[in-house]
Amino acid sequence: MSTSVGTTEQLGAEGTPQETGRVAGREVTARSPLQLFWRRLRRDKVAMVALAIVVLAVLVAIFAPLIVKAVGAPDPNIQNSDLLDEFGSPSGPTSHNLLGVDQRGRDVFARVVYGARISLTVAFVSTAIIVLIGVVLGLIAGYYRGIVDSLMTRAMDVMLAFPVLLLAIGLGVACADGCLNGLIQPGLTVVITVISLSLWPYMSRIVRGQVLSLREKEFVEAAKSLGASDMRIIFREILPNLIAPIIVYGTILIPQVILFEAALSFLGIGIQPGTPSWGSMISDAVGVFDIAWWFMTFPGLALLLTVLAFNLVGDGLQDALNPRNSN
Amino acid sequence: MNRIASRLIAALVLVAMTFVVAACGSSSSDKSSSSGQAKSNGGNPNQGKKGGKLEQLGASDVDFLDPGQTYYTGGYQVLYATQKTLYSFQPGVADPKPDLAASPPQISSDKKSVTVELKKGVKFAPPVNREIQAKDIKYAFERAFSKNVPNQYSVYFNFIEGAPKTPGAVQDISGIQVDPSDPYKITFKLSKAQAVPFAAFLVMPVTTPVPREYASKFDKQSPSTYNENVVASGPYMVENDASGKLTGYKAGKTIHLVRNPNWNKATDFRPAYLDEILLRANATDANVAGRQVLSGQGLTLDTNPPAQVLKRVVQRSKGQLKTVPSGGFRWFPMNQTVKPLDNVNVRKAIIAGFDRDAARKARGGDFVGPIATHFLPPGIPGFEESGGLKGPGFDFLANPKGDMAVAAKYMKAAGYPSGKYTGNDEILMITANVDPGKAQAEVAKAQVEKLGFKVRLRTVPQDAVYTEWCQQPAKKVGICGSAGWFKDFTDPQSMLEPTFKGSAISKSGGNNNLGQLNDPKIDKAMDDAALLAGKARNQAWGNIDKMITDQAPAVPFVWDNTNLIHSKNVNGVASEYFTAFDLSFTSLK
Amino acid sequence: MGAYIIRRLLWTVLLLWVVSGITFIVFNVLPSADPALLRAGRRAEPEILKGIRQTFGLDKPLYVQYLNYMKHVFLHFDFGRSYRNDVSVRGLIFDRLPNTLYLMAGAVVVWLGVGLSVGMISAVKRGSLLDRFSMTSALVAISAPVYWLGLVVLYLFSKDIGRFPLLPGSGSFQEATDLPTRLEGLIMPWCVLATAYAAIYARLLRANLLDVLGEDYIRTARSKGLTERRVIFRHGARSALTPIVTVLGLDVGGLVGGAILTETVFNIPGIGRLTYDAIQRADIITVQGATLFLALAVCIANLLVDLFYSVLDPRVRLS
Repeated sequence: MSTSVGTTEQLGAEGTPQETGRVAGREVTARSPLQLFWRRLRRDKVAMVALAIVVLAVLVAIFAPLIVKAVGAPDPNIQNSDLLDEFGSPSGPTSHNLLGVDQRGRDVFARVVYGARISLTVAFVSTAIIVLIGVVLGLIAGYYRGIVDSLMTRAMDVMLAFPVLLLAIGLGVACADGCLNGLIQPGLTVVITVISLSLWPYMSRIVRGQVLSLREKEFVEAAKSLGASDMRIIFREILPNLIAPIIVYGTILIPQVILFEAALSFLGIGIQPGTPSWGSMISDAVGVFDIAWWFMTFPGLALLLTVLAFNLVGDGLQDALNPRNSN
Repeated sequence: MNRIASRLIAALVLVAMTFVVAACGSSSSDKSSSSGQAKSNGGNPNQGKKGGKLEQLGASDVDFLDPGQTYYTGGYQVLYATQKTLYSFQPGVADPKPDLAASPPQISSDKKSVTVELKKGVKFAPPVNREIQAKDIKYAFERAFSKNVPNQYSVYFNFIEGAPKTPGAVQDISGIQVDPSDPYKITFKLSKAQAVPFAAFLVMPVTTPVPREYASKFDKQSPSTYNENVVASGPYMVENDASGKLTGYKAGKTIHLVRNPNWNKATDFRPAYLDEILLRANATDANVAGRQVLSGQGLTLDTNPPAQVLKRVVQRSKGQLKTVPSGGFRWFPMNQTVKPLDNVNVRKAIIAGFDRDAARKARGGDFVGPIATHFLPPGIPGFEESGGLKGPGFDFLANPKGDMAVAAKYMKAAGYPSGKYTGNDEILMITANVDPGKAQAEVAKAQVEKLGFKVRLRTVPQDAVYTEWCQQPAKKVGICGSAGWFKDFTDPQSMLEPTFKGSAISKSGGNNNLGQLNDPKIDKAMDDAALLAGKARNQAWGNIDKMITDQAPAVPFVWDNTNLIHSKNVNGVASEYFTAFDLSFTSLK
Repeated sequence: MGAYIIRRLLWTVLLLWVVSGITFIVFNVLPSADPALLRAGRRAEPEILKGIRQTFGLDKPLYVQYLNYMKHVFLHFDFGRSYRNDVSVRGLIFDRLPNTLYLMAGAVVVWLGVGLSVGMISAVKRGSLLDRFSMTSALVAISAPVYWLGLVVLYLFSKDIGRFPLLPGSGSFQEATDLPTRLEGLIMPWCVLATAYAAIYARLLRANLLDVLGEDYIRTARSKGLTERRVIFRHGARSALTPIVTVLGLDVGGLVGGAILTETVFNIPGIGRLTYDAIQRADIITVQGATLFLALAVCIANLLVDLFYSVLDPRVRLS
């Protein structure tokens, strides 16, 4: 039943999984859930606009170098100390530096554009890992129940009792130079590992709940009575019915992961210095935000927009999955 | 812990500064007067009104109140207001003055013995209340060699004859001699001919008298609890109760200083205008605290104000700013045991291409202090002899903004005909995870990469920068990204010997020769210069500085100033020695 | 009921033990800074290091260190002394705890007040312009990083640097010496910290209410001719609030350590900030103590929530 533990401060929209977790199971008996799902989603204009923004963000991330070049901005890591005054304070937006520069004299526009790469890479990779772990463990626990299930539930309880952000910070600092004999490399890998480790229990919980209700369904019972193997039931009967909810919860997870990554880099964890990440840009801006509004504002807006777009898409998906709650 | 140590390890400290540190320099923002930036503007110590209460805002606590242990600015500031060391400094005066001592130290002709006469009639504060004698100095040294009082700069006195090699319980040291017939005279016998720097060292906190009969019960604890029970000897004391317990010290929050009733003006050169001082350690937002100091009454800030505050005070109310040279250099040491930095021409090329002004901007710009052109800083003897602000005149240090043509020349000489590095070795750079250490290292990385080098920048907790990385040769740190070296006392030997002497390299850790410069000629010159005194000494160390600079062991980038701000009604007087407001000279208007 | 509580308590202890084990591993086994080296400072000679290791018991095998630590924690509630300056970790935690509690308490009031009323109104006026506006704002609020929001609010409204100087800014809580000024200094942090939570609770309550309003007994109530308002307040709200209580308990438990970001931006010396600073300085034992203490807070919150839940909603069997 529980959701956020200590991370809500930056993770935001928790509580939502539970909100529908219970209802969602009813819907999945539809014959071709995915088609239905997509048809409903397409009718949701807000979600479609948000989806367009998400696609745009992905394109920006992929074509970051081209965009920066097209605008005529300097590369994100070019430091130009001539753009700082004699106190080392940054200068604001000009025709050369559309969004001003930071304290190293680096172009804020270029860094915001490149920042999309970090955010989205971490978001997609971590979410994929979380979904993978969540689905595997959730399926095993939910389907076989018994000792496996109680062990896993306990493990999740332990994870949920942790001050997750503290654990993440600790891991991030401890593994800053890579750890576990090089298994975890410094840089983005640390961030992705830390985030995945901290968030998998939420996904496992949801999947387990879904499986628990699915395995009582008639069609599963039917397959069982026909003598189908466990593997067959899992892959043929249960998994297809899980796809829609997994997409929904994965999408709900993405904005949380983005905020988590930004919070970690705001606290200076994980991301290598100099890497243009939105969170670390905001962190760098803390010392000068009263005289350099541009430096604080634009990475924050980029973060807000991206997260909002993902949240809107997630909402739309959820409504499509569970039309009773939609307006 | 309070920061900007005037002490050796000070880089640590540099790092210890909170967010944006800026420091400002001269009293003038006019660039043409940049030579003036090395000059001190520490306030007038000779005028003041008696009485009143001063409050200092700060973000961090003193490291220790125990005179045997303190090694940072915060601790020093309290110590030099509450204790009498053998010698100490008056703001604005370059040479140390006898404080507890009655006269200058006498150095034997073989440079292996130093004798000091003490003043008579100086008393400890309550609850000890008795006269201070030479035995109290002897005990102060003996306890500093013990396990329970880990002193951090024993390198300056561990060559006293009979000093224990390994710390244990407090024990008698034969080389510290007090003649029973003259209880005011103390003689230090040295096992090496180091009397000149040893005499200069006698200003340090460890020369504070400690009464054995009172302190020994605390010193038996591990670690010693004398820190919470220190007895004063100077004009002020931390408020205490009848047993001596410091009731005025709330760790991490406040230190309350009151007048020492046993202090006698006749035995001291300090005016001690103020009646009461409150040092606050919990004003963590330096921006907020800085603004409060500027607009408030009776306030000072403990350390360099952040850039914004500094900008405001420079532009609007310069009278509230005091500037003193910190007596140190900030540098990016280049480890000669790491490829490709083993090539002297590669190092020269890096220095030549390096925009030192950009690195200074990362620390707060022009007002941080003058751009360094060699190592001995302003205020340390030998500075002028080594070329002063202009420097010794090497082409690779000529342009503070960097000169790519000169860099290319040296790259070619190093065997890279294109003028850019074409090898595959990656240089590891270590820095602190907070600004300004992080900021300046980011600049350094970009500067080194301009020449085609590959740099991997790693940020680590601030305390670990030195102890775990830069000081551990086994870690193969190529460039230390946030290093600084600050005076412990005004002597050139203590600035250059630990940092550049080949025989001082410690492979097993705790190494301070970060570049691992190992040049027999330089070592020999240092050995010779150690025996000199006076003008010849300054000249010799100035020459050594030139020799070192020519070997390009590091990028010297700034000679820091310390900028201190105070309220309008405060007559702030800064100490050049410990680079904070001197509480026994500061007064209210 | 008694047996249930005992079982829960035992489970909590077990949980804490596992949490402490993981914490110990993360901070002691994974590569980090060597406390003895940090303690020794400059010129860390082997002999001095050896002495320090002995003093702090760092020369013993890890499992012995762990057992010793656990013994002190569970028998004496003693979390050890900081390697940096010998200050008692328990003292540090209790010194900082009130600040975090001040911050939390106000924020909880704000977010419950705002979140629940908005949620309720939205549910009642479902589909209206007001509902849509509220829910969209809620989504924006959820999407804004709290530290950024803090900076923006400071930039706009703080007395010292704000464009529209209204409220005391960053650090004012810490500088304040009397209660009224302290509370004044907390207004901004409260609102900033509460923003995302208020949004979450509004959404949660709205969804729950809509859910509940579709249940049979509500339909019965309606068909009996009760007014819509009465239906919602007497019947709907009660069962819709139950899950909110659950979430609230957990959020509060988690916030004790989770307010790091807000504490950082507004310079509030709370527990989160203490832990973060300790991590930055590699003061492992402080981190360990604080993490364990916070896990304890979460566990207790969990326990209370479960008990409360059982009282509030008798349908839930305690098992």
